[in-house]
Amino acid sequence: MPLFGELFVSEILKKSVLDPKGEDLGRVKDFIVIKGDPLPRVSALILEKKKVYYRLGWDYIGIFNKRIISSRIHALKIQPYEISEDALLVVRDIFDKQIVDANGAKVVRVNDVKLDGMNNSACLTAVDVGMRGILRRLGVERRGENFYRIFGKTLPHSLIHWNYIQPLEPKLTTISLTVPRQMVSALHPADIADIVSKVSHEEGVAFFKGLDPNVAAEAIHELEPDAQKTIIQSLDKGFASDIVERMHPDKAADLLGELPPEEAKELLESIKKDEAQDIQELLGHEEDTAGGLMTNEFIAYAPNLKVGDAIEKFKMDAHDIEIVYYIYVIDENEKLLGVTSLRDMLLSSPDVTLAEIIEKKLKTVTPDTDQDTVAEIISKYNLLAIPVVDTAGALLGIVTIDDIIDILLPPLSKKKRRRV
Amino acid sequence: MSIQKLLPSWKSLLVFLAIIGPGIITSSIDNDASGITTYSVAGARYGYILLWTLVPTTVALIVIQEMVARMGVVTGKGLSDLIRENYGVRITFFMMIVLLVANFGTTIANFAGWAASMQIFGLSKYIMVPLGAFVIWLLVTRGSYRVVEIVLLGACLLYFGYVFSGFMAAPEWSRVLKSTLIPKVKMEPEFIMLTIAIIGTTITPWMQFYLQSSIAEKGIKKENYRFSKIDVIVGCLITNIIAFFIIVTCATTLFPNGIRINEAQEAALALKPFAGQHASVLFAVSLANASILGAIIVPLATSYYICEAMGWEAGVNKSFKEAPQFMWIYTALIVISAFLVLAPGAPLVLLMILSSLLNGILLPFVLIFVISLVNNRKIMGEYANTKGHNYISWGTVVVLITLSAALLVIHIIKL
Repeated sequence: MPLFGELFVSEILKKSVLDPKGEDLGRVKDFIVIKGDPLPRVSALILEKKKVYYRLGWDYIGIFNKRIISSRIHALKIQPYEISEDALLVVRDIFDKQIVDANGAKVVRVNDVKLDGMNNSACLTAVDVGMRGILRRLGVERRGENFYRIFGKTLPHSLIHWNYIQPLEPKLTTISLTVPRQMVSALHPADIADIVSKVSHEEGVAFFKGLDPNVAAEAIHELEPDAQKTIIQSLDKGFASDIVERMHPDKAADLLGELPPEEAKELLESIKKDEAQDIQELLGHEEDTAGGLMTNEFIAYAPNLKVGDAIEKFKMDAHDIEIVYYIYVIDENEKLLGVTSLRDMLLSSPDVTLAEIIEKKLKTVTPDTDQDTVAEIISKYNLLAIPVVDTAGALLGIVTIDDIIDILLPPLSKKKRRRV
Repeated sequence: MSIQKLLPSWKSLLVFLAIIGPGIITSSIDNDASGITTYSVAGARYGYILLWTLVPTTVALIVIQEMVARMGVVTGKGLSDLIRENYGVRITFFMMIVLLVANFGTTIANFAGWAASMQIFGLSKYIMVPLGAFVIWLLVTRGSYRVVEIVLLGACLLYFGYVFSGFMAAPEWSRVLKSTLIPKVKMEPEFIMLTIAIIGTTITPWMQFYLQSSIAEKGIKKENYRFSKIDVIVGCLITNIIAFFIIVTCATTLFPNGIRINEAQEAALALKPFAGQHASVLFAVSLANASILGAIIVPLATSYYICEAMGWEAGVNKSFKEAPQFMWIYTALIVISAFLVLAPGAPLVLLMILSSLLNGILLPFVLIFVISLVNNRKIMGEYANTKGHNYISWGTVVVLITLSAALLVIHIIKL
């Protein structure tokens, strides 16, 4: 059992490895890592002597600690080794790279890697992303501690357990990382957008590919329109249409509006008919009008429906709909007759019809109403959503307060890569 | 490549308009207070003679910036990201420390330029410097990104003030043209030093980092790289056209009258009797603009690269708690620079010389990193340098390294 306890990779880099006779085999250059259960483990050391690389299998290592590393085979028996592109190496492939901390929902840089002795092997248990790791790499960890002490502070240990790490580039997926994929999918869509906005375009796309389509659909509209477009264009058609299909129609229409017409058409053709139709209807409107902002997902019932039945129906219909606080009442020609709030509906007797409880004098806008006017009305009357009707009074869709907030506070609502 | 091939249709033109920006903005900001000072001094001291140096400088600038821009487009990462990922933390760390100190000097130079131009208008530096510093600080810590961008683009336009003052000075264009195209060298230490200073102030380490980051952030696709290339070339040309007009202005008015200057604001004042009140005011306003722009961008860019390389949180309108390192570096750069400009007896000249020394030391490293990264096929793929490319870039890099080494020697002798 060569490794007891824990150590950091940077502490043993460039250390000499000695054979049983005390002869120098070379200096530690890198570590080959392979998949292990539950954590990846070191399978061999790469040594460097006079510009030639040697591979020293983990099984041939005698003592392995911060002070001494020794091998059980003799210097003469060790063979030169050519470093392969396929192997996963700690220093070459993990050090200094950006990774996603799935627990803290942010992008960090790997300063050091921690190894722990477990069942005869050295496992990668954590990465160091803090100042301490940088100082250790520079060989001044102790001095850094003393410096912090002057200010009465301690140098924090910023370690992220391997289980919470998600590699950004597919390269690292040779190591099993099932846990973080689920964890990343469980992050808030806004956090995912934040992560994507901080890394390069290719890494962002690679990261998106690993997401569950439902999560991806939620996350993508949190990005800036340009970024949404590049991501959709870089994903394969199947996954792209899966995402678009799962987006709210108004968000999907915004995204498709950004794409070149042929590509948008192709995507629309590959998704479910009724979803495509909803999106198609919204695409025709100018971007900065009520028509461009509205969604055609809303709850609308017939006037003669009993409140009790309406509540039962509501339970079925409300799953996929964003704003459910208003129940609109329309006649057979889709003409808007009135609205009731969810609260009023729940508090009314189940036997009365919807027509009896609705508010008939309601504020509406037309599809070509300017977005600022829409915002003014919503704000003035403290609405959660406002219906959009055509000249005949037929209900086309609703503009929700969420959409309006995105217009009033654009810098905060969209995650864009920072630009200096 | 013909223009027709580059711009086959309206659609391409639209794509082009969406992509341009980083190259032009970076190059404009390159003409900051110390750049303007160098050009003014050069024009006043040697007349039109030094104009020809702008031609090779432009070529060198284009060669370097093109490589940096190409890396930004292909990798989508900043230069400090790439250096960290490929050369490790140790070298990155020391590089960032040197960059921090060098850019600290640059920030001081910009605040000094701001103070001087305000004094031309009779405004006390004890009010204007703290005010400027505070507004800059507020803009980035409290402002939204959109506001910062609009301010920057607007300010870039103001550089054309120099073009107008150049015309107002009414130079003899035939002589100007002759001096630009026919190199002439004087074997005097001052002449050599000014030649090197012109190149040194035009090609700086920090702008390579800045350019690559801003291109990476624009998320420009490889297919559209050719537009980015035009952006960079146009930017480099604009920078040197501005420099050209500054030299022409001072060379036409101050040189024949034997007026020697050491600072850009002296040029603005000295212009008045020869080129008129308007030219003088334009010159001063442009100096104020260049200084304040430099004072915004240099600290901001510095904090960004350092945090990017070290893996710290960074960003405009983040709080001190969210991005402590970023906010502290940014705040400290501005506050200390502004303070030093106002403090009586502060060794400003020494600090600025130190800064140009450090920039001179840093530049070879940055250029060598750039050239070896751009040749790395693992990173650049088919966009890596070709052989012919490498002859030109290595040639440029070797010349630049030789010149910055010469500048170092001159500075050390002077100290």
